[in-house]
Amino acid sequence: MNGDLSKPGSQQTSDRVFLASFALLGGTYLLLLLAMLAADLAYTSPGHLWRALQSPEIRYAVRLSLLSCSLTALLSLWVAVPIGYLMARWPFPGKGLVDALLDIPIVLPPLVIGLSLLILFQTPPGRAVERVIPMTYAVPGVILAQFMVACAFAVRTLRATFDQISPRHEQVAMTLGCTRSQAFWRVVLPEARRGVLTAGTLAWARALGEFGPILVFSGATRMKTEVLSTTVFLELSVGNLEAAVAVSLLMVAAAIGVLLLIRSQGLAPMLGRPL
Amino acid sequence: MNPAPKIIGGSLLAILVLVGLLSWNPRRGADRTPGRPLLVYCAAGLKGPVAQVARDYERRTGIPVQLQYGGSGLLLSNLRVARRGDLYLAADHTYLDAGRSNGLVAEVLPLARMRAVIAVPAGNPRRIQSAADLEAAPLQLGWANVESTAVGRLSQSVLKTAGLWEAIFPRIKVFKPTVNDVANDVKLGAVDAGVVWDATLVDYPELEAVAAPELEPAEAGVAVGVLTFSEQPTEALRFARFLGARDAGLPVFSRAGFRVVAGDQWSERPEVVLYSGGVNRIAIEESLREFEAREGVSVTRVYNGCGILTAQIRSGQRPDAYFACDVSFMTTVAAHFEPPTDLSETRMVLLTQPGNPRDLRILADLAKPGLAIGVANEQQSALGALTARLLRAEGLFDAVMANVRVQTPTADLLVNQLRAGGLDAVVVYAANTRQVRDLLTVIELPQEAALAIQPYAVGRDSNNAHLMERLLEWLKSGTSRRRFEDSGFRWRAVGEAP
Repeated sequence: MNGDLSKPGSQQTSDRVFLASFALLGGTYLLLLLAMLAADLAYTSPGHLWRALQSPEIRYAVRLSLLSCSLTALLSLWVAVPIGYLMARWPFPGKGLVDALLDIPIVLPPLVIGLSLLILFQTPPGRAVERVIPMTYAVPGVILAQFMVACAFAVRTLRATFDQISPRHEQVAMTLGCTRSQAFWRVVLPEARRGVLTAGTLAWARALGEFGPILVFSGATRMKTEVLSTTVFLELSVGNLEAAVAVSLLMVAAAIGVLLLIRSQGLAPMLGRPL
Repeated sequence: MNPAPKIIGGSLLAILVLVGLLSWNPRRGADRTPGRPLLVYCAAGLKGPVAQVARDYERRTGIPVQLQYGGSGLLLSNLRVARRGDLYLAADHTYLDAGRSNGLVAEVLPLARMRAVIAVPAGNPRRIQSAADLEAAPLQLGWANVESTAVGRLSQSVLKTAGLWEAIFPRIKVFKPTVNDVANDVKLGAVDAGVVWDATLVDYPELEAVAAPELEPAEAGVAVGVLTFSEQPTEALRFARFLGARDAGLPVFSRAGFRVVAGDQWSERPEVVLYSGGVNRIAIEESLREFEAREGVSVTRVYNGCGILTAQIRSGQRPDAYFACDVSFMTTVAAHFEPPTDLSETRMVLLTQPGNPRDLRILADLAKPGLAIGVANEQQSALGALTARLLRAEGLFDAVMANVRVQTPTADLLVNQLRAGGLDAVVVYAANTRQVRDLLTVIELPQEAALAIQPYAVGRDSNNAHLMERLLEWLKSGTSRRRFEDSGFRWRAVGEAP
């Protein structure tokens, strides 16, 4: 085998076989995804899509979904960057336990998150918060429900990102006179920008697909707490499969649009460097 | 240059912009309506008709209705934790019963009925005509979960009774969480047939209902319940009445394929008439006032001797309900009322001067020569008629009537005349003696005929039959029961309402 590999011709063939088999395996998944979308498209018609977009309820749900997901993604980054950094850099007792705790929203069925939030806001401290910001069955509750799940994914991603960035650069910056904060903002964060971007988009996408906790904690009140995933549920529940599919396709279009936009523009200007 | 302020400031600004956009609602100015909104938990399968009725209600009253959708069971667990909201609309009354036993639901108003049918693709390609046809080998069935859905549970129990379940069970390919999931599966062709509600299929023109005779007993009742923790029960009840009104909400349900109940007539503030025997007044008056306040209705009470009341009914008066002094006064007008419910009973007693100076022990003692007796008028009052019936049954009528010095239309007058000292004894209800037990001597009468039972019945022609049924439930409540007992009645009704 070693002998075969040394020959450039056979090496080329071998490379081709290798890449082709990988492309085949990966392509199967992609094909399945496309086939699903094609089936969805076949099940609906431009008429259904148009009617869906005409409905003020669905337009409201689109707007609420896009705004709440963006807010959730930003808030998740605000929390996930410090957690990810601390977990990657800071040794402290009970770190393993904290690490496990951070995974709870990933492990728990999303419905349970909603139920737990509902219970939390019926306790005296919860009620005190409600008096200032209405949460249960209100729009802030939608964002909180999305945030509780989406943030866990952002934390996971950023933890891995900071883990992979060597502490050396940071230490060098500090020996050159940077404070830890300066080293973080000028060296670590620019290095982590791809991870931050991934964490943000992941949180955004999770929030868009979030359904169970919103249904339980925020309800499915039309023109109030209805997001696109609830619309799909509501339309399904009355047998309106065509509208459910139309709304799902709207979600796909919105998701692809936003993800492409973020990936092309990125957070580059904010981080002060081109990607 | 430190990029920190730029990044922090930029993202804070983005958050502020998003929060601003979220709190700015372009429709808010346009549809601002007065009044506090009603929060209604609504089974998702009822969304179509309920949303329309809610819109109609908002237009008519200006009170916004917020509908919260979900599966009946999910909503029940939700409201149990959240303990807020005003109404709960469930696809089957069993969920409301569960809510009632958990103390979450107060009044329940029935809306419609649904029947289990077999859903098949239009044209019925498998030629399924009955539940027995579901046993055929290549058939694949979808079924709604037998634990968490009403249609699954009811159809299973009916088929078990019919001895068909064992044979059908192997044909079931999948159990689904809701009835619509089953219909969706049939529509998509994932299964050949499934059992759903007849009302479900109105939304599915591609499907056809097979009304299998074996499934006929599997029926569910759509109903709406007022939540015990509602802070505006009167508003909640008003919308519930609107939903269940035959000229408001029910036609919408009917168009959506539901078999609706015979509902009440819609009125923002219904006015109803209750005929009641005078003896019952003390026991029910306070409860009636509470009922009026809670329901937002006015109850016109007509208290009188039952002889007079039944005469009025026979001459064409139609009260919405009648609470008689005794069952004998219900039978004469039974044709105009639904079957009555006995609420309370009271015995007739002898009331005599303190210390019983004339030594009266039994009914026959009233025939003793030289006594001055008072009785109620036989024609004018139930008490009088019952007294005469009792005396005749004991063969004492003529002898006692010889001693009668006074006949009055009501028992109160008899008690007062006895206290004034003009009489030796009077025949009244135990319920009349409550105030004077310490001042006069009461002698119990053990005879069967000395018992008066008070039945309540709803008028057959009433435009507010459901409302009057709720009044009955109200009168059956624990608080009302205590009022009856404090007024000298004994409790007879079974099934105390919460």
